[in-house]
Amino acid sequence: MDLSRLIQRNLKKTRFIIGVVITTFILFLALFSPWIAPYPREGYGYVPLEYENRKLQPPSLNHLFGTDVLGRDLFSRIAIGASTAIIQAFTVIFLSLLIGLFAGISAAYFKGVVELVLNYLIELFMAIPAIVIALFLRLSTGPGLHVVIISLVTTWWAWYARITYVYAKSIVEMDYVVLAKLSGLSDLKIIERHVLRNIIQPITVQAISDLGSALLEASAINFMGLGLPPGHPDWGVILYEGITSLSLEAFIRAPWLVVFPGLFILITTLGFTLIADPLREDLDPRLRRRWRLWF
Amino acid sequence: MSEEVIKLERVTAGYKVVKGALSIWKQVNVVLRDISFSIGKSERLAIIGESGSGKTTLLKVILGLLKPIKGSVLLYGRDIYRIPDEEREKILRKIGYVPQDPYRSLNPVLKVKTIIGEPLEVIGENKEKIEKRVVEVARFVGLPWSALDDTPEELSGGMRQRVLIARAIIANPEILVLDEPTSALDVSIQAQILNLLNNIYSNFKPTMITVTHDLAVAQYLADRVIILKDGCIVEEGKLEEVLYNPRHEYTKTLVSSYLYTTTTNSVSGFNNKS
Amino acid sequence: MVLAVKTVNLRIGYLDEEEEKIQWAVRGVDLEIQEGESFCLVGESGSGKTTLANAIAGILPPHAVTQGKVYIFDKLVVDDSSRNYNGVRGRIVNYIPQNPGTSLNPFLTIEDHFYYVLRDLYKYDKSKSKSIAIETLSKVGLTSEILDYYPHELSGGMKQRVLIALALASNARIIVADEPTSSVDASLRAGILGLLSKLNKEYRVTLIIVTHDIKMTSAICNRTAVMYSGEIVEIGKTSIILQSPKHPYTRMLMECVPILGVEKPLKPLPGEPTRIFEDISWCSFRERCPYASVECKTTPSMIPVGDDESHFVKCWRFHEVA
Repeated sequence: MDLSRLIQRNLKKTRFIIGVVITTFILFLALFSPWIAPYPREGYGYVPLEYENRKLQPPSLNHLFGTDVLGRDLFSRIAIGASTAIIQAFTVIFLSLLIGLFAGISAAYFKGVVELVLNYLIELFMAIPAIVIALFLRLSTGPGLHVVIISLVTTWWAWYARITYVYAKSIVEMDYVVLAKLSGLSDLKIIERHVLRNIIQPITVQAISDLGSALLEASAINFMGLGLPPGHPDWGVILYEGITSLSLEAFIRAPWLVVFPGLFILITTLGFTLIADPLREDLDPRLRRRWRLWF
Repeated sequence: MSEEVIKLERVTAGYKVVKGALSIWKQVNVVLRDISFSIGKSERLAIIGESGSGKTTLLKVILGLLKPIKGSVLLYGRDIYRIPDEEREKILRKIGYVPQDPYRSLNPVLKVKTIIGEPLEVIGENKEKIEKRVVEVARFVGLPWSALDDTPEELSGGMRQRVLIARAIIANPEILVLDEPTSALDVSIQAQILNLLNNIYSNFKPTMITVTHDLAVAQYLADRVIILKDGCIVEEGKLEEVLYNPRHEYTKTLVSSYLYTTTTNSVSGFNNKS
Repeated sequence: MVLAVKTVNLRIGYLDEEEEKIQWAVRGVDLEIQEGESFCLVGESGSGKTTLANAIAGILPPHAVTQGKVYIFDKLVVDDSSRNYNGVRGRIVNYIPQNPGTSLNPFLTIEDHFYYVLRDLYKYDKSKSKSIAIETLSKVGLTSEILDYYPHELSGGMKQRVLIALALASNARIIVADEPTSSVDASLRAGILGLLSKLNKEYRVTLIIVTHDIKMTSAICNRTAVMYSGEIVEIGKTSIILQSPKHPYTRMLMECVPILGVEKPLKPLPGEPTRIFEDISWCSFRERCPYASVECKTTPSMIPVGDDESHFVKCWRFHEVA
């Protein structure tokens, strides 16, 4: 089933449309936030001079989501943070997907020692928690985007390598691969035409649904203060600042500091999942529900 | 007998069973034992065997996919497992192979014409020439012209088999290897395919090897049969001789089971112990 | 004579993917099978033979749609859309699945297979089920040794025999066998067929065999129905159908089966089996039929052939088919 037909079929499903709307909204925010945000400079971390007067204001028309402990407009921070969120999620998944596809297909196609070694590597990297690597990188190189990307890619690639391996393993056993080998088609061409083309669709759909998880994990690393430095426009960092800079009492006094960044993480994740779920159903009929839900 | 096209000399083959990564002793599960036979040019041979007889393994050995443990496989007088890769590829290109299961043998994402034209693409023919030849072959095997732009998912089992046959004969092979060519098909389609294969033989006179479990099918596609049981050749000879004068016990039960299921009407006292 | 199975204008369909249309796999079948008969349903894939057999055996999937009626020993099991096989499935009708390799649970011994079946049906305890198992296994030519075996320790032919024994153990009076020989090696086929025929003759079990191989039926079945795209196109005594097939499709089925030792040219009909899912007003075989003419624009009814009282054919021009 080609992609255009796949999307056309799914446009009938309400949840797919909801997912598309949410994701488009977030992407729109990420691209145009400097023009949307009422205080773009504050969004990038600039502390206003008169911050004593402006700090911890509740949501109002002037400050849609209220202000934080340094007097910055929270809506601007979150809007600017959308681009960071998208960049992190997409980079992590894209890089992991590339490495994973390469490793998984090599393991399934070349068999023998390659398969053995790669399988051990996959298991090894699946066992390492991302946070340990993030901690190590934070301590040795300092904070930054690279901490988030590297620590997540080192664990996520193994996941894609494993899925790719499982899919490719069943494809490699198919008779058309044998036929192509007998005709003398080169390995690269066989991999491209007979293996990759058959597995790219389910894996891409898997990747779309993983974008949400990647965002969650990236936010978690930032929330713990391991990734991006304080002041950086990122939802995880905003949460971190909101919680660490306030005592519990103050936290109850200013709940918007936690609710709004959390909400944005949630709906972005939901958006990706709502897009991927119906697509996956189409590719794998076993997942199809017998009885339709309300959407 | 004219020139020997394929010759197997005392071939013993099997699969390595690797248990764990560090196992030093690799067990070998021997499937074929001491197989020797040869096929002349334009000869039609059927290899008959039931499940577990090793016929699939034998095919793999002939097709250059499985190196035998002992013995040699000669194609046109060259041992295909002891010559450089390029030379082997060149020799193996003379084989047209029709695999067993038409539902597992066609890449679902490719167009039918790409699938059929693949062997020519490998040789490096130009596009127009391939296209022309694909149309020609498709017409020969009875594939409707409109099917060429479809993906295999839209085709029935019989049509899929025609696609596979077209792919096998597009590069004018000198050897045609058929693995259970009709076992996945309905009887009316089976007859069409058998007629098509006979038509191919009378037109191009390739050397034909058919692997099947069905003696009745073999009689349409072969002059000589080899009966395989548990990895050994139990009987070999002209089809009629084997049919009417079977020597080995196993061949006798095989032949009698056919006579029983096809012509006899009574069943009294027949209780074959399995 | 008691009727074992009776269907009245039975139609069975499945909802398609979008759940909007019903694709009819069986379109209006009237069938009567006497008790003690061995009956054969012949057809190619897509002819609806397996669906019809499943409806008799009571194993239609839940999303199947039924119309018409099915009686099994005078009990109404299918009444238009309501299906109720309670007390019939397993006890009166039993089913032998097509593939013996995947039909036995690899985690259970053969004895347990019998035990669970009999416990669920009749609340028998272990010792009673064991004695029944030994008895039925001996009927199919197996010894009690294999009771402790797991399915993977048995050969394909033995598994098929165990499945037959399982169907027998519940004292079923009708056994539906779906392609009983298709996944068994040729050298074992005769044994399996002989066994089924023995069950039919000695134990008066009504046998319904589903197959695509019309020649195979001659050995054990006394009546045959040929199905094409959801309809029965010819029905009659096996010997008569094999000698003088009246429907062009039956004739073609006979002509294109290769027979060992008879070198005759195969004469297949052009085209592929058509799959018709809607109600049509013409003969479903028209497109492939060499005898097709103007009459064939209307659906033929079942016409008695005349050479035998039970021989019917669904063809306007059957007298020309020689």
